[in-house]
Amino acid sequence: MSVIPEPRAAALPVLAPERSASAMPGKGARTGWPRRTRRPDPEAQEAAAISAADWRRPRVRITTTLLHGMLFLALVVTGLGPLLWMAKSAITPTRDTLTAPMALFPNGFAWENLWIAWNEVHVGTYFLNTVFLAIGCWAVQMIVATTAGYALSVLRPRYGPLLTSLVLCTLFVPSVVLLVPLYLTVLDPPLLHQSLINTFWAVWLPSGASAFNIVLVKKFFDNLPREIFEAAKTDGAGPYRVFWSIVLPMSKAILGVVSVFAIIASWKDFLWPMLVLPDIEVQPLSVRLPAIETTTDLGVFIAALAISTLIPVILFLLFQKTFLNSAGLGGAVKG
Amino acid sequence: MMSIHRGALGALSAAATIALVSGCAPAAPSPSDDDPNATRDVDLVVAIDAGLAAPALDSIEKQIAAFEDEYPHIHVKTREYTWTGTTFAAELSGGTLPDVFTVPVTDGKGLIEQGQVADISALVAELPYFDNFNPTVLAAGQNAAGDVLAVPVSIYGQALHYNRELFRQAGLDPDQPPTSWAEVIADAKAISDATGQAGFASMSSANTGGWIVSTMTYTLGGRLQEAKGGAAVSTVNGRETAEALEYLHRMRWDDDSMGANFIYVGKSINQDFAAGKIGMFIKGADNYTQLVQQADVDPDIYGLTTLPVADAKDAGVLGGGTLAAVNSKADADTQAAAVKWIDFFYLQRLVDEDAAVANAKIMVETDQPVGVPQLPIFDKETYDKQQSWIEPYINVPQDQMTHYIDNMFDQTLVNEMPNQTQAIYALLDPVLQAVLTDRNADIQKLLDAANNSAQQLLDRS
Amino acid sequence: MSVMRTQPGFGPESGRRTPLTWLRQGGHHTVILLLPMFLIFGVFSWYPIVRSVVMSVQKTNLVSAPVFVGWDNFAYVLSDPLLPTAVLNTLYFAGLALVFGYPVPLVAAVLMNEVRRRKGIFSALAYLPVVIPPVVSVLLWKLFYDGSSTGVFNTILGWVGIGPQPWIQSAASAMPSLVLQATWAGAGATIIIYLAALASVPPELYDAASVDGASIWRKIWHVTLPQLRGVLFITMILQIIATAQVFLEPFLLTGGGPANSTVTVLLMIYNYAFANSLGGDYGAATALSILVAIVLALFSLLYFRLTSRWSDS
Repeated sequence: MSVIPEPRAAALPVLAPERSASAMPGKGARTGWPRRTRRPDPEAQEAAAISAADWRRPRVRITTTLLHGMLFLALVVTGLGPLLWMAKSAITPTRDTLTAPMALFPNGFAWENLWIAWNEVHVGTYFLNTVFLAIGCWAVQMIVATTAGYALSVLRPRYGPLLTSLVLCTLFVPSVVLLVPLYLTVLDPPLLHQSLINTFWAVWLPSGASAFNIVLVKKFFDNLPREIFEAAKTDGAGPYRVFWSIVLPMSKAILGVVSVFAIIASWKDFLWPMLVLPDIEVQPLSVRLPAIETTTDLGVFIAALAISTLIPVILFLLFQKTFLNSAGLGGAVKG
Repeated sequence: MMSIHRGALGALSAAATIALVSGCAPAAPSPSDDDPNATRDVDLVVAIDAGLAAPALDSIEKQIAAFEDEYPHIHVKTREYTWTGTTFAAELSGGTLPDVFTVPVTDGKGLIEQGQVADISALVAELPYFDNFNPTVLAAGQNAAGDVLAVPVSIYGQALHYNRELFRQAGLDPDQPPTSWAEVIADAKAISDATGQAGFASMSSANTGGWIVSTMTYTLGGRLQEAKGGAAVSTVNGRETAEALEYLHRMRWDDDSMGANFIYVGKSINQDFAAGKIGMFIKGADNYTQLVQQADVDPDIYGLTTLPVADAKDAGVLGGGTLAAVNSKADADTQAAAVKWIDFFYLQRLVDEDAAVANAKIMVETDQPVGVPQLPIFDKETYDKQQSWIEPYINVPQDQMTHYIDNMFDQTLVNEMPNQTQAIYALLDPVLQAVLTDRNADIQKLLDAANNSAQQLLDRS
Repeated sequence: MSVMRTQPGFGPESGRRTPLTWLRQGGHHTVILLLPMFLIFGVFSWYPIVRSVVMSVQKTNLVSAPVFVGWDNFAYVLSDPLLPTAVLNTLYFAGLALVFGYPVPLVAAVLMNEVRRRKGIFSALAYLPVVIPPVVSVLLWKLFYDGSSTGVFNTILGWVGIGPQPWIQSAASAMPSLVLQATWAGAGATIIIYLAALASVPPELYDAASVDGASIWRKIWHVTLPQLRGVLFITMILQIIATAQVFLEPFLLTGGGPANSTVTVLLMIYNYAFANSLGGDYGAATALSILVAIVLALFSLLYFRLTSRWSDS
């Protein structure tokens, strides 16, 4: 029996604020923490293959609950397991981690690992470098994406389509092609003739060249109601005014998505910072940690790893909804 | 300088400072008389080893302080630097190469030939002990005309490092380390049987595998490259190389005495040795310094002996060394300051009693090793004198290294192969790794393939 | 996709425009607003792309002027005995990653979509590995993969009586080990993407199916999966493109070993340009990267040609 209408890519959610909240229909989605109230609501299931009627059948209920239980267990082991091991080993003496890695504190704790990692290995310095890099990349990407998206989408110059296609072209060029020439460009930038190596600019500026951001932002701006701009224009507002006071405030959703992508990408970046920041003083965690792996005591090293993971994990737990929505919609919008 | 306590502002200002300094010209000369020795303020960026632990950094800071006392117009900044062949050109043109940097002897030759280091020969010739340099050693830093463009600051021969504690646990006498390859194999088996740790381990990655293969081949009397009629011929698949790999194969698969981890580089093998996981391994004889500074080794477990050299005609010990060179973009003042630094930091302690004692004192204060066996850069007389000066400060367990110290001058030191050295080492890495990770590795076949590739490389250059 | 092309934009549109009218209508504001993008893209995207093509036909060593060498670099790269190994390894990685990393998140997402309570915990747990910085997770797994019997995984295997495995210490198991780690780190993101797509399946379809008496399995097969088709195709091609450029895992975990079993094409490019043998061969590096780009472009074209025919049928 054929039930299916022709699936369209457009069935995927359009990027509008209201939709994003319901993209995660779990009851806890609003606050990011599962709520305590048990609202029995079998009808509220959106887009579930198991209908209310199915659910009433005990065999379905039991099998599904069993499967969910196994899935939950698997997720706990694979998702939490490594993190918990890392946290445990960070405060375990190296000797124990080497000889009995799965044992739980057979010889007590080694809190000094954290202390040494922070003070002698200077995890704090590299952590701050990582933060500065992320903030700078975020700023550059925001500036480039919003101004370009606005100009191309709202101001619509004659040469707009040409620029847009030039930008889109870069989407199809894999980043590996850029690696060497970008390195040489940063060594000797065309206008400046002063090497940017060992400066944060070497990481900040190239990060702005993200066609993906511009596509996202432009698409969002395209969907904004034009009447508001017309009204503002007749009120005498110039293009900058409209940009700053009208377009930007209306775009919080997409700016949030771009911000999350920008910060996550910066936090993960490894190869590029490794190439352009050879001076250890300015290296972020992602570059420094592998470099000190072999010259650092194992327990201290794991403590350094744990400290580096702390902030991203905490940020994630606090802003789950934003993270997950961006992640989900990123994939959806690509369709 | 790396100061230990840095807050947020410090990190930012450091970044800003580096951003500014990296492109800046040296400080403007302060007005002074036409005295040619007038002190102009010079900023000197010097290279230090990567990954040093805090006490080692401390000792370097103290030495810098002493240097700046002696030369108040020179301001020294350190930069962590590891020689990497390809980024060298980029670093040179990008301005991130330190003013004074160190380079292994093999790579130094290439730099000198291509004129990619500053010509400091006049300044070096002025050094008071210039005539005492061992001519063979000095040759490593000379160009075709005989000018010294890079200063040799250390030379070493390969040696066998062993864990005395593991020896003890295996029922072996730590004061009777092996003297032949057969004994090495037997001892390795004893250690792994008794303790479960690797009796023997070998570096195998990032070109170090080829380096070790080269070392072992030399001890058996073989060579990896020969000069025939002016052209270089690769002999990587010679009998001795195959024999060396056979020994490793036997230890790995027949005796199971090489443990379970095989991807090692210099730093990681030190780390595992210090952690008590390795019974014996091959590395430069001066490795103890790194073991202390980077791997926090317990001195009691450390033992050093000479490599077992076969009774063959060309058998010898692979030698290496380090050169100190000056950035070719350095101006005259910086070059002068650089040579002063090279003199102070690397050489003074070898030729001048006060400097030797002062340096030894600083090292002892900061728990750095004094007395690690080194081969002489100058003549034997200078060497003996230097040993006597530092004798009261020796804090390394030299009695655990007697087998090396007593025999090191009797061994023939052999140079690395001259052409495409690193590239050929890179070809041998996978061969060594295959021997250690694939029981059925066909050693001769692998060597033959590597030899073909090596010959292609030699023919191209 | 709505494109309001017919609506007048803010800036100047049709009509004969002299430079003066352009200025009076505020055309220069547009230029100013486009300046950041133009500068950044110009210097750090378009220029390097062009330069890459130029360098691939040159011999550069940064000290002297570049020399035009025609196809030499391409010939050198294509004749490098390591290239076939690297290509095979990359394909092997991509293939394994597809086998492990593609169906597993799908099954998990479909299951998770049916969770009635506390779905948030499931998503959070699934996404957690993605949040960990990749360098940290690779280094962590390097510890897990220690080959001795006291390595973390080997200890766990020991609990169920399995002997210690070599993991990354053996040519046969090195690549699967890399894929395992990469899948662990990336599956969560894919799950979330699928969940978002699943959430958008109109409930009426399921209701209609239930009314028609379809079993759960049939509903999944005939409603859920077809709705996901678009996303599935996209994620597959994205995954293939991403895994074709895998670098971090082989670089940090194995350095390309043991015995070149984990050398990937990206690692080769990196080694040409930045590894420790004298003379950075930037020409070879750019030549190989351009070849990679061409192959990926052709593959994407082919892929979209095939899948568009498929989804039209």
